[in-house]
Amino acid sequence: MHPTRGDGRRIARVIAAGAGEALLVALALSSCVFAAFRWLPGDPARLVLGDEASDLAVSRLRAQLHLDEPMAAQYLRFLRGLVRLDLGDSFRRPGTGAMTEVLSALRPTVELSTLAVALGAALGVGIALAASGPWLGPRFRGGVDRFFVLVASVPLIALAPVLTWGLAARLRVVPLPGDPQAGIEGLLFASILLSLPLGAHVGRVARAALSEIGREAFLTVARAKGAPPTRVWLMHALPCVAGPIVTVVASQLGALLGGAVVLERLFERWGLGTLILQAYSSRDLPVLEGAVVAAGLLFVVAQTLGSALHAAVDPRVRSGVE
Amino acid sequence: MSRRWLHGLPLVVLAGASAAGSMLARDVPGRLNPELSWCGPSWTRPLGCGEAGVDLLALIASAERGALMLAVAVGLVGFAAGTPLGAAAALVRGPVERLVERTCDLVQSFPTFIMALAVLSAVRTPSRLYIGCVFALTAWAPFARLALVQTRSLRSALFVEAAAALGRGPLGVLLLHVVPNLLGVAAVQLGSTAAAVVVGEASLAFVGLGPPNGVSLGGVLDQGVSGMLRAPRVLLVGSLAVFATSGGLLFAGRIFHVEPRGR
Repeated sequence: MHPTRGDGRRIARVIAAGAGEALLVALALSSCVFAAFRWLPGDPARLVLGDEASDLAVSRLRAQLHLDEPMAAQYLRFLRGLVRLDLGDSFRRPGTGAMTEVLSALRPTVELSTLAVALGAALGVGIALAASGPWLGPRFRGGVDRFFVLVASVPLIALAPVLTWGLAARLRVVPLPGDPQAGIEGLLFASILLSLPLGAHVGRVARAALSEIGREAFLTVARAKGAPPTRVWLMHALPCVAGPIVTVVASQLGALLGGAVVLERLFERWGLGTLILQAYSSRDLPVLEGAVVAAGLLFVVAQTLGSALHAAVDPRVRSGVE
Repeated sequence: MSRRWLHGLPLVVLAGASAAGSMLARDVPGRLNPELSWCGPSWTRPLGCGEAGVDLLALIASAERGALMLAVAVGLVGFAAGTPLGAAAALVRGPVERLVERTCDLVQSFPTFIMALAVLSAVRTPSRLYIGCVFALTAWAPFARLALVQTRSLRSALFVEAAAALGRGPLGVLLLHVVPNLLGVAAVQLGSTAAAVVVGEASLAFVGLGPPNGVSLGGVLDQGVSGMLRAPRVLLVGSLAVFATSGGLLFAGRIFHVEPRGR
């Protein structure tokens, strides 16, 4: 069923509701970041300069960071800075805006995560389709199900270093972590690692959904009309399970972003995770605040897009039927 | 003995192995002996040494114990806060129920790992206490949501109506009749929350935001990655420990899970 103009309006309503919720989450996250740097034990200025710094230097930095202003004024200034993408200059690289550094690190993380989502979805759906159709025997189907459960239950932090050791250090088929010549191969390998847990979750859900609709009458009619299995499963069955697949991808985005930070550290790749760690070790407060909020916003935006996509592919969501 | 209790066996074995490892280890966890860097297994150091000569057995046993304690503490806090809240909201119905449901939606869509990065970056020395507090801030939401959904079907059950009709107050109905019936499903959630905490703590320590003494599963993995070519066993031991701990907790969550009986 193709979306009509009324459906378009309903999709817009779902997106608007999702955007409102995303704004709330973004505001809550920004407030947490603001509060963390100001209310947790220890003076942020002293944290940046160290215990040996003179009182004069500390008070100068407090003035520079506007820490001597009332909390409400600081909060408004912080929110205004976020909206204008201006949180002041980086301490580590004076003269460079903190948000300029954040935006330069955002691109590699987005590339890594987007490629991982695409690979994970393709991998999970592809294997689930192959196992649900007439191409594999019952023994292989059971094997596929067990494979999905196994991969989904192994944490990425335990799986990625071991696979990297096996494939990069032992077999030498992929670049070693930190290899400056890794280029596109490095990005692809990191994305494949990141996509494995996502692919397994997507595969489990797709497999369950496809098994459920496998005996539906409309598929029998398609087969009776002479449609080949590829057409039956790809054109008729797959669109019906797109909703659960999009939902599971959206629900895995948080883990994916956390995984991206871990993999950036593992492969010494430039990205938001690396920037956060560099800013942390050099106590670069403006960059740290901007990077953490940007990572949260990335997650929130991706989740909202996931909800919108779900509404676009599933008529029950856009009509508000549960 | 019911076979359900077997689900707790991997966790018991793990905790026992961690305790035995601590007793067998000859060195203090995390103590540096640079002359023994990456040394192989021996009678005195059965798992060998890691970076800067730390005794791998002492390190992994202590990190394992710390991760288990943190995971169980966070899981219990989430359980104790979320389950009664969700159940009470579903019993009260109306705006309170909707408010709790929406709040759960918001909290569950919150990137906990990113928030943990923010909080740990803002403190002078990240510790397990801070990590636990951050995870506990969002851990209650899945329990509350589960309790809310389960209580919706329980609130019209005859035994709940009978308890109310016999004069049991709302608090009594909640604590004596509703919450006990939620324990099975909440225990499964307790297992997955605790497993997620183990993975989260290890990931934070791996990226450099772990306890300052480096005694954490993520710290072992970090050493393993840097010594990948020289001593791959450090990496394998670290990965296996993270997998076994999170898997053991996930499995243990099923102890109290009761399969519905066929009618």
